[in-house]
Amino acid sequence: MTRGPSDGGQQGADALHGDMDATTAPHRIPPEMPQYGEANHVFELMQNMLEQLLIHQPKDPIPFMIDHLQRDNDYVPKIVILGPPASGKTTIAMWLGKHLNSNLLSVESLIAQEYSSLAADARRHYQKFQTLPNTLLVRLVQERLREEDCVRRGWILDGIPETREQALMIQTLGVSPRHVIVLSAPDTVLIERNLGKRIDPQTGEIYHTTFDWPPESEIQNRLIVPAGVSEGETARRLLEYHRDIVRILPSYPKILKVIPADQPCVDVFCQALTYVQTMHRSNAPFTPRVLLCGPMGSGKSLQAALLAQKYGLVNVCCGQLLKEAMADKSKYGEMIRPFFEKEMAVPDNIIMKVLRQRLDQQDCVERGWVLHGFPRDRDQACLMDGLGYKPNRVFFLNVPFDSIIERLTLRRTDPVTGERYHLMYKPPPTMEIQARLLQSPKDSEEQIKLRTDLFYRNSAELEEFYGRAITLNGDQDPYTVFEYIESGIINPLPKKVP
Amino acid sequence: MEANSSRELEARNYLEKHRIMELLTYLASALLFFRPEKPREYLISILERLRIAKVSGVAFPFFMDDSNIAAMFQMLDSSNKGSISFIQYKEALKTLGLCTADEVLKDDGHGITCEKFTREVNKRTQEIWSTF
Repeated sequence: MTRGPSDGGQQGADALHGDMDATTAPHRIPPEMPQYGEANHVFELMQNMLEQLLIHQPKDPIPFMIDHLQRDNDYVPKIVILGPPASGKTTIAMWLGKHLNSNLLSVESLIAQEYSSLAADARRHYQKFQTLPNTLLVRLVQERLREEDCVRRGWILDGIPETREQALMIQTLGVSPRHVIVLSAPDTVLIERNLGKRIDPQTGEIYHTTFDWPPESEIQNRLIVPAGVSEGETARRLLEYHRDIVRILPSYPKILKVIPADQPCVDVFCQALTYVQTMHRSNAPFTPRVLLCGPMGSGKSLQAALLAQKYGLVNVCCGQLLKEAMADKSKYGEMIRPFFEKEMAVPDNIIMKVLRQRLDQQDCVERGWVLHGFPRDRDQACLMDGLGYKPNRVFFLNVPFDSIIERLTLRRTDPVTGERYHLMYKPPPTMEIQARLLQSPKDSEEQIKLRTDLFYRNSAELEEFYGRAITLNGDQDPYTVFEYIESGIINPLPKKVP
Repeated sequence: MEANSSRELEARNYLEKHRIMELLTYLASALLFFRPEKPREYLISILERLRIAKVSGVAFPFFMDDSNIAAMFQMLDSSNKGSISFIQYKEALKTLGLCTADEVLKDDGHGITCEKFTREVNKRTQEIWSTF
């Protein structure tokens, strides 16, 4: 075809025009930007700053923002613990406070403050009436939360808010917790428990005659029975609690967790601690780049297909990619062919070139990808990582060897229609078809054993390389596994264990 | 509830008056473009410069200077006519965050020249930054 230079120029200009027209061109965002955004939680940073600006509405936003950024307290604990009397709230709150190095606030501690005139007023009121008016309590909370240590190290509210009115008042002041824990247990258990409650007057720690008896005899001798633990008293307070809690819970829809308190204290604490250390799902834009690892027969291809179908990710199967390259007779395909024909492994750098070509395409960059079949060992993983292809979710599918054998050795193909069957999970409909089914030599038991051994030899190093990978039990039905994978992708990664 | 919507209105007015969204967009863009190792320190340094610029009256180095604007104009005006269509002009302003989707711009029917484009971009950027 002969095209004059002027022709080419015109076509080039048209192409450029079409490409650069501000109204229609898709934005080609370099992948470093979203990767940086995800790694540094830029969205959450901006969102937190905006929240603070809207709550306080400072006249001078810029110095306010500078202060906010310097304080760097976006992730300090902001916890509310609620629960009926005798549920162990105070104990859990104290333990959390010590563990997270944060400040504990309760009605008693607020009233007992020495240097606050509000607290003095509150003490007077409490002495006369045995309760505090809502406004006074809320103002006490506000005052306390403004102090430097609460700003820097966070806070844990024990038993506050007590009523819906208090909850709303606290909210309008711009105080919002990130985690709300509600302890719950049957009333009978609570009434009984309360009868055994003892307090150490020196430390304020709460003990119990049956469940939590201090070992040191000197503490034992100090313990006193607190007021208001008789059956009648507890029952009355429970009544009040049930009436109030029901109206408080709707104020904290997404950050609430109910923990059953009818179990050993340490178990409750464990659950509470795990919960307050999880980050909630944010609205940050997120392009999943998922890596699925596992021995053959673990279900990688199936899960990848499900993910691609539901979330629009691009399904990149390494083996498939190489075969397509050969079929297309592309330049890489010609390089790969001799290795395939001799049944030798294709060298890493050739695989990487083919893979790069696919992952750099616009649809992968825009929609995200789910990769499986590569990398299979540490060297391949390093290679991929070095070139900048870093998955943001890695899953290891664990399947016991017997299940692998069952899944793979019963695979059959119908030579006439090309349809694939499985003698247990997807049996052929008629005896006629079953008679002519053939098994692929790759699915023989020796082959499977060889390849599974190969995988496990390399998997320990791979797991070490991808430190924040999620390991799943692949020995379940596909949709259960899929749900686990989904929740692994959608929820933020659990914090790194130091 | 009446109280809630008035607070919401208050909040929206605050955002507009201080051009918070434009500022945050600028900060986020700067972060993603320059990708500093320490994002917080970087943001603090930008805000400090802004504060000083406001106090001392020195012009703040905007994201785009004149050569960038000229380059952008040339990309839009690929056939080198010397002017861009009104639709392109409006889309470009939207992309730069300098006009809202429902703002009505006058279309004088002559197409927008490079100088007019540069002037308008500078004028609007100046408007936004003068708030700080």
